[in-house]
Amino acid sequence: MFGKQIGRDKLLDSYIKITGLHFARGHRAIFNGANLNIPRGKVTAIMGPSGIGKTTLLRLIGGQIKPDSGEILLDGKDVTKFKRKALFEARKKMGMLFQSGALFSDLSVYENVAFPLRAHTKLPEDMIRDIVLMKLHAVGLRGARTLMPSELSGGMTRRVALARTIALDPELILYDEPFAGQDPIAMGVLVQLIRLLNDALGLTSVLVSHDITESLSICDHAIIIADGQVIGEGSPAELRQSESPLVKQFLNGLPDGPVPFHFPANDYQSDLLG
Amino acid sequence: MIDFIIKIGRFGLDYSASFGRSGLFFLHSFFGLALSPKGLMLLIHQLYKVGVLSLVIIIVSGLFIGMVLALQGYSILVDYGSEQAVGQMVALTLVRELGPVVTALLFAGRAGSALTAEIGLMKATEQLSSMEMMGVDPLRRVIAPRLWAGFISMPLLALVFSAVGVFGGLLVGVDWLGVYEGSFWSNMQSSVDFKEDVVNGIIKSVVFGVVCSWIAVFQGYDSEPTSEGISIATTKTVVYSSLSILGLDFLLTAVMFG
Repeated sequence: MFGKQIGRDKLLDSYIKITGLHFARGHRAIFNGANLNIPRGKVTAIMGPSGIGKTTLLRLIGGQIKPDSGEILLDGKDVTKFKRKALFEARKKMGMLFQSGALFSDLSVYENVAFPLRAHTKLPEDMIRDIVLMKLHAVGLRGARTLMPSELSGGMTRRVALARTIALDPELILYDEPFAGQDPIAMGVLVQLIRLLNDALGLTSVLVSHDITESLSICDHAIIIADGQVIGEGSPAELRQSESPLVKQFLNGLPDGPVPFHFPANDYQSDLLG
Repeated sequence: MIDFIIKIGRFGLDYSASFGRSGLFFLHSFFGLALSPKGLMLLIHQLYKVGVLSLVIIIVSGLFIGMVLALQGYSILVDYGSEQAVGQMVALTLVRELGPVVTALLFAGRAGSALTAEIGLMKATEQLSSMEMMGVDPLRRVIAPRLWAGFISMPLLALVFSAVGVFGGLLVGVDWLGVYEGSFWSNMQSSVDFKEDVVNGIIKSVVFGVVCSWIAVFQGYDSEPTSEGISIATTKTVVYSSLSILGLDFLLTAVMFG
C-alpha cells in the first residue's frame, strides 16, 4: 500500500514520462512498448547490457531521433510532436554530456564553454568571461582554459564538456556513458561532480551507464532495460533486492543467464559437421 | 533473379531517399544563413578557408594552362599564318570553358573534399550532435556558411583563373614566341564579348559553385560516422562533383552557345 503510494507520487513528479515507446532499427526492435518515468530533481541511472538502446533512449529524449510510436513527455510536453524550431528552443533547457565529450576541436577550452552563451545570449564579454570561469572552476579546470581539446586527457575532456553543458544552467542533463574508459581518479571526480551539480543546481540528471557500482552509488532512482522493455526500476536498494533473474544477472555481472553468452546461432554440432 | 531485382529496387529507393534528403538539406541550409554580424563573421571565415586558401592552386594552374594553351595554339595557328589570333584563342577557351570547368574541378578536389572531411569528422566526433543538443542548429551554424562560401568563391576563383591564364598566354605567346603584343590584345578585345562570353562563363561557374558546395557539404553531413564512412564520402564528393561539372558543362554549353 505504502509502496504504491510512493510510486504514484513519483509519477506525479516525473520530469520525463515515456509511454508505449516503440523504436526499431531496420527489422530489429530496440524498444517494444517501453514505459518509464524519470523523477524531477533526482539522479536517475538507466542501465542495461551493451547494445540494448540506452544511448538511443537519450537521443529519443533529446528529440534527435523520432520513435516509431509512443509518447515522450518532457516536463509535460511531447517531444515527438515538436517542430524543428520548438525542438531547438526546448533543448536550451537541457544539456547532454556525450561519451566522447564532443568538444569543438578548433576552439579552446574557454571558447568551448563560452559557445552556448555566445549562441543564445547577448551578454557582454566580461560577463561571459565570469560565467565561463565559474563553470570551469566548478569542474576544477579553471587553470586549463587556454588549452585546446587535443591537449586534454579523457577525464579532463569530459569535465570541460560538463562545464559547457551547465553553461546555460539547464534543467535536465543527460549523461551518455560518463564513466566509460576513465581511470579510477577521473571516475571518482565525475561521480562526485554529477551528484554535486545535481544537488547544487537543482537539476534532473539522467545517466546511461553499465558501470553498476558507480551508477548505483550516486543515483536516487535506477532503471534497468533489456529486450526493449523496462525489467526493473526503483531505488538502488530496491533493485538489489529484486528477484528477477535478468536484474540479478546484470547487477552481479554473471556471464550467462537470461542474456545468453552465445549470440543466436545454428546448432553447434551440425555447424561443425555440416 | 528475384534477388537481383530486389537489389536494384533497394538501390533505387535508397538513391531516391538520399536525393530527397539532399534536397531538403539544401533548402534548410540555403535559407538558413544568419544575416547577423555573427553569421557574417562565420561566412567571412569560411570565405577565407574555402576561397582565399584555394587561390594558390588556382593561380598556379591558371598560369600553366594559359601557357600550354598559347603554346599549343601557336603551333597550330602558325601553319595558317594566323598566330596573331593566339590571344583570342587563349581568352575564349579560358573564359568560356576552361576557366569555369577547371576551377570547379580543382575546387572539388581541394575545397570540396576538405569540406566533406571536416563535416564528416564533426559528425563522427559527435560535435554536430552536441551542437544540436545545445539548441544550435548545425545547418545554420556549420553548413550554411560553408555552402554560401562555395557559391561566392567559385565565380571569383574562375575569374582569377581566367585572368591569370591570359597572362600565362601572354608570357608564352608574346614574350617567348614573339607574337606582336598589339595583335594579341586587339584580337582578344574584338572577339571576346562581355555578355556572350564573360557573363556566360560566370553563370557556368555559379552553377558549378552551387553543385560542388552542395555535394561537398551534403556528403559530409550524410556520411557514416566512421573513418571508412568519411573516406567514402570524400571520394564521393570528388567523383560526383567532377561528373556533375562535366555533364552540366555540356548542357550549359549547348544552351548558351549551341
